[in-house]
Amino acid sequence: MVDATDAAFVALAIVSVGGAIAALEAKEIIYGAVGLAASFFGVASLFFLLDSPFVAVFQITVYVGAVAVLVLFTVMLVREGRWFGDSVGPTASVAGLITVAALVISLVSSFFAAGLSNASEQASAPSFVDIGKLLTGQFAPVLEILALVLAASVLGALTLAKVDPGAKAQAANERERS
Amino acid sequence: MPKQITTFEEFIRHILKLVLWVVLLTPLFILPIYYVFYTLFGTSFADLFSLTTKPDQLMAFVGKLMATEPTKTLFQLTTFPGFTFAAIFASVFMIWVERKFIAKIQLRVGPEYAGRFEGILQNFADLFKLLFKEMLIPNSVDKAVFISIPLALMFIAGSLLALVPLGPSTYIADPSVGAVLVFAIVSFTPLVVMLAGWSSNNKYSLIGSLRALHQMVAYEIPMLLSVVGVVVLAGSLDLLKIVYAQSGIWFIVFQPLGAITFFICVLAELERIPFDLPEADSELVAGWQTEYGGMNFGIFQLATYIKFYALAGIFTTFFLGGWYGPGFLPPEAWFILKTFIVMLAMMFPRAVMPRVRLDVLLRGGWSKLMLLSFVNLFIALLVVSLGLYHIGGL
Repeated sequence: MVDATDAAFVALAIVSVGGAIAALEAKEIIYGAVGLAASFFGVASLFFLLDSPFVAVFQITVYVGAVAVLVLFTVMLVREGRWFGDSVGPTASVAGLITVAALVISLVSSFFAAGLSNASEQASAPSFVDIGKLLTGQFAPVLEILALVLAASVLGALTLAKVDPGAKAQAANERERS
Repeated sequence: MPKQITTFEEFIRHILKLVLWVVLLTPLFILPIYYVFYTLFGTSFADLFSLTTKPDQLMAFVGKLMATEPTKTLFQLTTFPGFTFAAIFASVFMIWVERKFIAKIQLRVGPEYAGRFEGILQNFADLFKLLFKEMLIPNSVDKAVFISIPLALMFIAGSLLALVPLGPSTYIADPSVGAVLVFAIVSFTPLVVMLAGWSSNNKYSLIGSLRALHQMVAYEIPMLLSVVGVVVLAGSLDLLKIVYAQSGIWFIVFQPLGAITFFICVLAELERIPFDLPEADSELVAGWQTEYGGMNFGIFQLATYIKFYALAGIFTTFFLGGWYGPGFLPPEAWFILKTFIVMLAMMFPRAVMPRVRLDVLLRGGWSKLMLLSFVNLFIALLVVSLGLYHIGGL
């Protein structure tokens, strides 16, 4: 029996998987970026369907609002097509398929080991208060390590992007002289 | 070009062709509408026509429609707290108010001729002008993306509108994570603006959309952080519960810094002066909207003003106590009055301020407003831990 929830699930699955395929296969790289955004949005809607709106909303805010926009921005600056034109040889595609299969098998087996197979429909969805309590209590070390990783990556980005003021002044001097 | 009709025979043939189309299309469209109508309301069109001669029965029927579920939601969605009200209030009334208000501040007259009273019909004149203009689509644009941009902007504005609670029972949607959903919806805008700038295939559009991207990404984060204090005080992400928590004291009393930060970020998010760099009509023609003319431009304006109204309403919800006020006015009226005042305050900078420079804008967003919103969060935590305010109400 197909009800409205199943129909919505199928539609959203088509949007997410189709968006992902479009992101990989689109000839025009901008359409690929839009497909990526659509895929993220589909996944966020699946979270809504699974009764966890908090995760869904942050999926939209972070992935559609920040990641997809950054990808689009980068793609727009790199419109040469130099790095995207090469087609992949047979060895690479076979290796890719094997990697994907290994990843899927390991993820699925760990999900089932974590008790996904006997999940019941009646379990009430955790609210964001519960998530906050877990993150500041039992899983506080995880949160702190994640924060440290993020801080380290921000510092790394700043160091990479930093313009040396001495070199800038030197360049300006040379420009004046010439 | 359609073929010109020169002879009488061609004229007759043309008429017959039209009749054939009508005969073909009528069952295709009218019959489904009839069946949907019948299943929804339990009466047919014909009964409705006979009802028009009996006013009391008609009023009873309309009253029944307003009370039952599918039509009640439909009415709320399309008419009162929803789209038509917002379109009339925000884009027809508020654009006129904005023109007159700014004109008075700058010692000008503003619209004067259309309509008897102070040019109140000027917007209708502009609307008809836009409607009768040709919708130009340049040859070298990316057509699919270009055409879908106005629709996407209307989608963003409409979904924001659905979250605004006008009264304890006058709202369209009440999600349990409303306060974050606002930012999730707002965060679609840079994507759409970016695609608009790219698909127009025009250097002004691209530069405008890059500026818009910088500005929106810089101001979204302090906007989100400035509301965290409110969420801490209310103990909920539900917009209705945030309003209920303000039945005693408005949150602007505890959170003035948050209110200021949110206000400035909304101005930047809406690309209003002094943050109108993405449009910058003296440098960039019209920024990312350059290639859009006619009613496409009209839809842009409509979406912008609906978003303006919705964000002002959300400011009212977060900081000004939503619908609460002395009892001599209904709650919806208080809400609209407060939103009107917030919108006037947001219009004021347009009359008196110049456009800010890009580096000033970015430094302000990334360092100053971010710092302010963190200070604001600590104030909220201090208020709660000192026991001045108990989470979720006094």
